[in-house]
Amino acid sequence: MRLRAWAWLALSSIWLTALTGTTRPRYGGALTVELSSASFMLDPVNTHGRLSPAIAETLVRVNARGAIEPRLALAWQHEPDNKRWRFSLRPKVSFHDGEPLTAVNAAPALLAALKKKYGDVTVTAGGQTLVVQFEHPMPDLLAELTHPETAIFHKGDANAVIGTGPFRVAAWEPGRRLALAAFEDYWGGRPFLDSIIISVGAGSVRADVFDIPFGATRRVVPEGFHIWTSAPNELIALLAANPQSTLLQALSLAIDRTPIVNVLAQRRGEAAFGILPQWLSGYAFLFQAAPDLARARQLISQLRLPSINLTYPANDSFARAVAERVALNARDAGITIQPTTNPGGSLTLVRWPLDSANAAEELTRLLGFLGASDRAASLDPAKPETLYEAERVLLDDHRVIPLVYLPAIYGLAPRVHNWEAAQKLDPFRLNLENLWVDQ
Amino acid sequence: MSFRTKVFLSITTTVVISVWIVASVVSTLVTNSFERQDMQRTAALISQFRSEFDRRGAEVARRVDAIANSDDVQRLAVNLGASKIDTAQFYDTAQALAREQSLNFLELAGPDGSIISSAEWPARFGYKESWLLQPVDWKAQGFFLQREELADGPALGLMTVRTVSAGDGLLYIAGGQRLDKAFLDSLPPAPGMNTRLVRDFDAPAPSDTPASKLAADLIQDVRERPRELSLTGSDVTLTAIPLLGRDNKLLAILMVENSRAELANLKTYIQGTAWIGGSAGVLLGLGFSLWAASRVTRPVLALASNVRDVAGGNWDSRARIDSTDEVGQLAQDFNRMTEQLVEQRDRMIQAERVAAWRELARRLAHELKNPLFPLQITVENLQRARQASPQQFDEVFRESTSTLLAELDNLKTIVGRFSDFARMPAPHLEPVDLNQMVQDVAKLFDAQMEGLDRPRIAKILQLDDNLPSVSADPEQLRRALRNLVLNALDAMPKGGTLTLRTQRLDGTPDPKIAIEVSDSGEGLTPEECARLFTPYYTTKQHGTGLGLAIVQSVVSDHKGTITVRSEPGKGATFRIELKA
Repeated sequence: MRLRAWAWLALSSIWLTALTGTTRPRYGGALTVELSSASFMLDPVNTHGRLSPAIAETLVRVNARGAIEPRLALAWQHEPDNKRWRFSLRPKVSFHDGEPLTAVNAAPALLAALKKKYGDVTVTAGGQTLVVQFEHPMPDLLAELTHPETAIFHKGDANAVIGTGPFRVAAWEPGRRLALAAFEDYWGGRPFLDSIIISVGAGSVRADVFDIPFGATRRVVPEGFHIWTSAPNELIALLAANPQSTLLQALSLAIDRTPIVNVLAQRRGEAAFGILPQWLSGYAFLFQAAPDLARARQLISQLRLPSINLTYPANDSFARAVAERVALNARDAGITIQPTTNPGGSLTLVRWPLDSANAAEELTRLLGFLGASDRAASLDPAKPETLYEAERVLLDDHRVIPLVYLPAIYGLAPRVHNWEAAQKLDPFRLNLENLWVDQ
Repeated sequence: MSFRTKVFLSITTTVVISVWIVASVVSTLVTNSFERQDMQRTAALISQFRSEFDRRGAEVARRVDAIANSDDVQRLAVNLGASKIDTAQFYDTAQALAREQSLNFLELAGPDGSIISSAEWPARFGYKESWLLQPVDWKAQGFFLQREELADGPALGLMTVRTVSAGDGLLYIAGGQRLDKAFLDSLPPAPGMNTRLVRDFDAPAPSDTPASKLAADLIQDVRERPRELSLTGSDVTLTAIPLLGRDNKLLAILMVENSRAELANLKTYIQGTAWIGGSAGVLLGLGFSLWAASRVTRPVLALASNVRDVAGGNWDSRARIDSTDEVGQLAQDFNRMTEQLVEQRDRMIQAERVAAWRELARRLAHELKNPLFPLQITVENLQRARQASPQQFDEVFRESTSTLLAELDNLKTIVGRFSDFARMPAPHLEPVDLNQMVQDVAKLFDAQMEGLDRPRIAKILQLDDNLPSVSADPEQLRRALRNLVLNALDAMPKGGTLTLRTQRLDGTPDPKIAIEVSDSGEGLTPEECARLFTPYYTTKQHGTGLGLAIVQSVVSDHKGTITVRSEPGKGATFRIELKA
């Protein structure tokens, strides 16, 4: 019995060892990433934030629960009027070139980033304290500082980005290849991976991680690879340069979004009738409407219709397919739309990456993009009805015609671990810094 | 027109017409040859087009067959038949298959005609191609032309349809290749020829050229009645070949454009050559006319010069005889004629001289006879008085001597007149105001015209205010005018109207003035007019016949002319014309 017990114990130990051997993070190894999208330009500073956290960090960040938590700033406080903010920087943080993080060397990057949006900002530094001063109230500064554009970094030789993130730039061929190496002195501890090699457009299926862009649905996924799909984090929509309510309303009614989702997006997206997806706003279902060709034809029957150019992003086959489908639907209603990659069309098909789990912030960003920032004043994150109303007004003037929400889709090699957990940290970015791989 | 000009025109016209005829004939022959060649080339091109059309059609059919038999399509058909497939995943299948088979068009459609996948217009998935559902044996149909709607407009396709069984229904595979400019460009090149496909029959002409209008007419004609048709314009020949679809509907027109530029160039060359030939003809005519002139017209011109000399009074002029031809004979005859004229003139002068002497003698006799008769009577009276009554002789002597003296004065006057006429001096020219002179002369005769002892004569002066002064001898001219006025007064014994008129004559190359003296007397007969200026001729009872002769002599000395016009009963008008 004792022998049997010892045998069981031994077997259990072996099994547990094997089990933990596959789940316990391992240090070392290189992760290869193959990206196809033009949105990943591999510029560490201009990546829509999808890569930069691994290289350059912000003062604060949004955690998986949507709350703001410290990053390079350990603590902060602000005056009652929200015009003056004081941040205490995390100690013992150094840049990739060994220079310690101080308020003095963090201030220029922060000031340059904030100046792009706020002309009245000043940043003063003293020791480990940064003081950010505005002439107007800035209650949302923390949310602003979660954006990668406000990451703290400086430029080194050959224009290389030198940040404080877990990985440093080892090699960089703009637009083609970015090699990252683990930063041994990272304040949060050395990352698991020794290196991350990211390339664009090579079409390699041997990479550990590759994205599957829409428009390439028949890409061959190697055996054993796992397909991971994020929550919808990108909105495909039409933007009208000149609001012409009746015509745009007719166009909106003529577009059948279901085939776009089912066929072009291969059922991986969601039909979009509002700006924010249902998971983000909670009220998107209220905007749903079925296509109505008869009504569309009736609306334009009295109009003198111009030929409309629809500009879609060049080198984006999915955008082109959507634009052509829109043109086809529009033609059924009697509206002539010519898809083109030439800029300046009266309609533009845009891919709007959702950047925040905060619906109010996302809507504010979009309103700012549309030049309607004044409407953002009425938004109250605590009152969803204000968001709904703002979105409804935006949709009613038909300057934005939502088409489809798309998720990000990645192919993952079996040796890649901790993907789900890593992505939960920030659902809008490709988080590679916490992955580890089998050797 | 001179003989030289006639020769020039004749030769030039002959050469130019000959060149024109030759050029026209050559041009016509070349045009016919070109048009024949054009027709042959056009026919060859059309034949090549049809051949390539058939070859491509067969190729399309073969490729669509290959697609229909491919694993992907067979699997799709099986799954469709089993109704267990989401056709969305085949959305881009047609594009891959079309690329493999180099087809421009490929659509996979389900049993209900709904497009599962479209290579030419991927966005059209889910739309129905109802024409595929027509009851057609697609295998037997082979290839055909089809108008395909694309995102960027309609296109023409050389299509084939195949079907694959899919459960109870069919999977339709419609594939094809574009019939477009690239297709036409693949045909063997034909220099000078262009081909194009006209699909949009209502498209406005690209330009307002004659060729565009010709093409528009041709398209319209073929649209109304599809058939092969050609039209020829000034610079292009267009041939239209209708391209019909499966249902014989006109889908497009193959337009073969045959440039006539080469022909136009050749015609231009021929015209240029003709112009050069014509110009050479003109030069030849000019040269030949000059040569002919030296051979023919020069003797004739010399003879004409001799004629002018003779006409000008040079009776010694004689033509030079250089040849024995017609011109030489003419010169000889001219010389003989001139000699005869000289002889006749001499004879006439002799005769006139004799007649003048006779007339002079007659006049002298007449003039002298009148005073001599009283002289004779007076002398005889003296002789009789001496013999018969010596006591009265002294009284008779006194009377007779006074008579004798009077008659002798008369004789002296007569002799003086003749002497004056013989001694007409040369005029001393100076500027003369003729209007003033005419007024002065007329005034001289006022008393005579208004005399109580004779019927009254009215005087009318019509003087040109713009009369220039003339260069003349005022005394001689005044004398001539006086003579004319005196004659006019003599012509109106019963009274009448004397009209004196001056006039500036501007219609002549050299400015002239005219002086007219008109009476309203009995007038003159034509015979009298003809002899009026002959010396010693008079129509009056007591005239010497020298008055008008003196007038003519004065006018002649002033390089002028004097004429008379008159009709019996209507008066007479003497007109003097002098150079201003």
